[in-house]
Amino acid sequence: MTELQYIGKPARRVDALEKVMGKAKYIADRKLPGMLHARCLRSEAPHALIKKLDVTPALAVPGVRAVITSEDFFEHSLFGFPVKDEYVLAYRKVRYVGEAIAAVAADTPEAALAGVQAIVCELEPLPGVFDMEHALDPDAAQVGPDRPDDQHPNFLDLLIVRQADPLAEIEQCAVKLDERYSVGPQEHAYIEPEGALAVPTREGGVLVYAPNQSPFVNYGVLAMVLDLPHNLVRVIQPPVGGSFGGKDDQIYQMSAQVAKLALLTGKPVRLVYSREESLISSYKRDPMHIRIRLGADSDGTLRAVKFEGLMDSGAYASESTFTAWRGSIHAMGAYRYNACAVDIKCVYTNNGYYGAFRGFGNTEVCAGIEQAIDELACAVGMDPLDFRLKNCLHVGDRTAHGQILTESVGLPDCIKTVRRLSDWDRKRAAYANQTGNIRRGIGVAALYHGTSLGAEGADYAGSTIAVEQNYSIDLTSGLTDYGTGSRTVFTLIAAEELGVSPDRIHMQRPDTDTAIESGPTVASRSTMLGGNAARVAADNLRQTLDYAAADLLGCELHQLVRSGEAYVGPDEEPVAWERVVDHAREMGLALSAHGKWTAPRIEWDHHHGTGTPYMAYHFASQVAEVEVDMRTGVVQVVNFWAVHDPGKVIFPQGAYGQVYGGVAQGLGYALMEQITYTNGYLQETNFESYLIPTSVDVPEITAQFVEAPFSKGPYGAKNIAEPSMVPAAPAILNAIYHATGKRVRDLPANLERVLLGHDLAKGGSAKACKLGLKT
Amino acid sequence: MLIEFTLNYQPIAIEAPPDVTLLHLLRDHLNLTGAKEGCSVGECGACSVIMDGRLVNSCLVLAPQAHGSEIITIEGIHAPDGGPNDLQENFITYGAVQCGICIPGMVVAGEALLMRTLTPTRTEIRTALAGNLCRCTGYQQIVDAIEATAVQRRQAS
Ligand code: FES
Ligand code: FES
Repeated sequence: MTELQYIGKPARRVDALEKVMGKAKYIADRKLPGMLHARCLRSEAPHALIKKLDVTPALAVPGVRAVITSEDFFEHSLFGFPVKDEYVLAYRKVRYVGEAIAAVAADTPEAALAGVQAIVCELEPLPGVFDMEHALDPDAAQVGPDRPDDQHPNFLDLLIVRQADPLAEIEQCAVKLDERYSVGPQEHAYIEPEGALAVPTREGGVLVYAPNQSPFVNYGVLAMVLDLPHNLVRVIQPPVGGSFGGKDDQIYQMSAQVAKLALLTGKPVRLVYSREESLISSYKRDPMHIRIRLGADSDGTLRAVKFEGLMDSGAYASESTFTAWRGSIHAMGAYRYNACAVDIKCVYTNNGYYGAFRGFGNTEVCAGIEQAIDELACAVGMDPLDFRLKNCLHVGDRTAHGQILTESVGLPDCIKTVRRLSDWDRKRAAYANQTGNIRRGIGVAALYHGTSLGAEGADYAGSTIAVEQNYSIDLTSGLTDYGTGSRTVFTLIAAEELGVSPDRIHMQRPDTDTAIESGPTVASRSTMLGGNAARVAADNLRQTLDYAAADLLGCELHQLVRSGEAYVGPDEEPVAWERVVDHAREMGLALSAHGKWTAPRIEWDHHHGTGTPYMAYHFASQVAEVEVDMRTGVVQVVNFWAVHDPGKVIFPQGAYGQVYGGVAQGLGYALMEQITYTNGYLQETNFESYLIPTSVDVPEITAQFVEAPFSKGPYGAKNIAEPSMVPAAPAILNAIYHATGKRVRDLPANLERVLLGHDLAKGGSAKACKLGLKT
Repeated sequence: MLIEFTLNYQPIAIEAPPDVTLLHLLRDHLNLTGAKEGCSVGECGACSVIMDGRLVNSCLVLAPQAHGSEIITIEGIHAPDGGPNDLQENFITYGAVQCGICIPGMVVAGEALLMRTLTPTRTEIRTALAGNLCRCTGYQQIVDAIEATAVQRRQAS
């Protein structure tokens, strides 16, 4: 391959300038003349029947222009994918505290709040389900929808992986482990609270600006619940102030609310959440209870695993069935086994609701399996890093799902590199047998993470590209950049393909009127799917330009070479790219193209738990070094090393940024981020109680990449955004064990758990939640 | 009531209710939306401005308290030609920007630190940013950008 000009070289993020100048207009920064302000009436009960809902008093409040309920939508606003069980506004029942029941549009935010307070809403409390372990008890209250089969209505799904009989295999093993772990919920805590702005159009349709992850999903939901033809709905993506999986369903609900209010009032309507409203009403990472059984030979050969997980989906399914599926696929970790069984069950409760969050099931299961592997290594008497190296997946290995890995497996190199960078062997020995009050420890975790959607669904993306009058290039994608840097990745790929400077390229944010539907922006799929689509589009355009250049230079296509942007023919006189463009125009050629890329078809057998779940995997190994104060239980992460195999790094500053940010989120998950529902009432309603890592909590991180290219990825690239977070928590927990000799098997490892080994009984009340909904 | 203060080096007088916060005065009354509202309780720093040389959370300052003070917001931080200054340029070069919602606050916090010292250690930079939450970057490239700017300004002075 000829030397790459832009891929993998330092680059400027395409939207960085407007952001550092404070000029980027996020949803809360957008104001339109005559714009109304919306506000929702929300449930103060975790589970109740809506006995009475009378909005007429609200309409009498000065400044209130419209009030809507589920009656204002098609099918009472039912939506949801893959399980259709959610409403834009609650219908007949509320299932969690904070669920939206009605929405008001008014001239001012104050009038909207007064309108909300004037609504007459009588809720008849129902018994709630607050413990997922009892969600399927025969007498548990029904939270989930009616089912056609004889399963409990609170049962949502069961995801399995099967290979041989692990319990029989473990029976024969010299070293066995049987342990329980748990992970708590986690809030996305994007610094930009959710919002949406709708503008009625002259044709009777609606234009929605929404910081959603997947504008085309929003577009589909809007057309459905508003009962409008698709051509009357348009969604435009403003800059998004962080998402991490969190700006899906919630934003679609908000978009539909403001869209309906805009249609009714004929005015633009904006809804922006307060932090309290965001925390109380939005979905979070699902909590999981885990039991893991493992068996190995005395020489450290790993033989079998049985993983059982119980996952809370909360009041609605949201993405939980997909999350649980990805969790099940990764539950055994990146190792070879003779036998494996995974069962992850998800259930409905009244504890808020749970959906997509970076790592999407893998973050949860990895926290369990990577501690269990550490414990088993200890029991065998092996260094945990050596144990991983001995058993981890290599090219040519067969995974527990029955998939042969034929290429792009950088895991052994990742583990070896992180060992060297972290000075593992010396520190591991130096920190053994400490006795002081302040103790250090070092821990490792390994990871694999399937690329893109895998067998979850149709996996494709599209891009358009066009040369404009001024010789700039317009590039679109149907996928959103919510901070990850994908717009820059697409720009660099298109520039490389076309042989033009990235400065020429204007990478647009998605607009459903101009971009091509590309599926959801999830699963760290942008680089591979959107990147390949941009590559195909740019390549199509380049072929046209090459043809024009050959005509202009009077030569054959194969005689063309490039010198910078210029084309050079046999006479060796460079011709500027603009001249080639002019010539193509004179020839009447269309200087626009589109590209579509579809992932290779793969199969997963849900009934038998075998198949090929993903086309390729990201691999990584991370090491954490901690300092534990034995008197207080305070854990400080003092060093961190992360070595990742993303196939190929396209945009280096962006890739490093993903790793640093992912590790920071994993650190929060491991040590401090605590979400508590007490009888369905959230206790942490703002950042003074929901603590996320600050600049003094996050250590200096050393990141490095091992590039094991994937033949179908653009320039060999796979994925990076989610995998960067996943192994951080277990690496930290394993380091705490190394420092203290005590295992904390429940996340987050807060002070009590580290110091005392158990939780302090804490009260909780409905107060913060009820107050949060009123301010 | 009439509130008079210096905003981004220009004197300004504006009529506003006494109970609005400085953040809302800036965003809703003056149309300066660079300072963001992330929590409204002084925890996130997205609303950071410089008030009389000190970094403050504008969501915790009542507008009348700004009377007679000198306020610098992100809109007042730029090169003489209106483009990015050296700190903003370094944020771009070092890849310190992701979603960007915290970034105006981070730039303001960085400037407030560099007004005090051009020899901050990385630990001091981290301490200076401790009131500014970022959920995307893990802070490292933000620290890189501020550190590089300190070195450049030191060399230039
Ligand atoms: S909005 Fe002021 S500190 Fe968060
Ligand atoms: S860049 Fe997203 S919060 Fe800092």
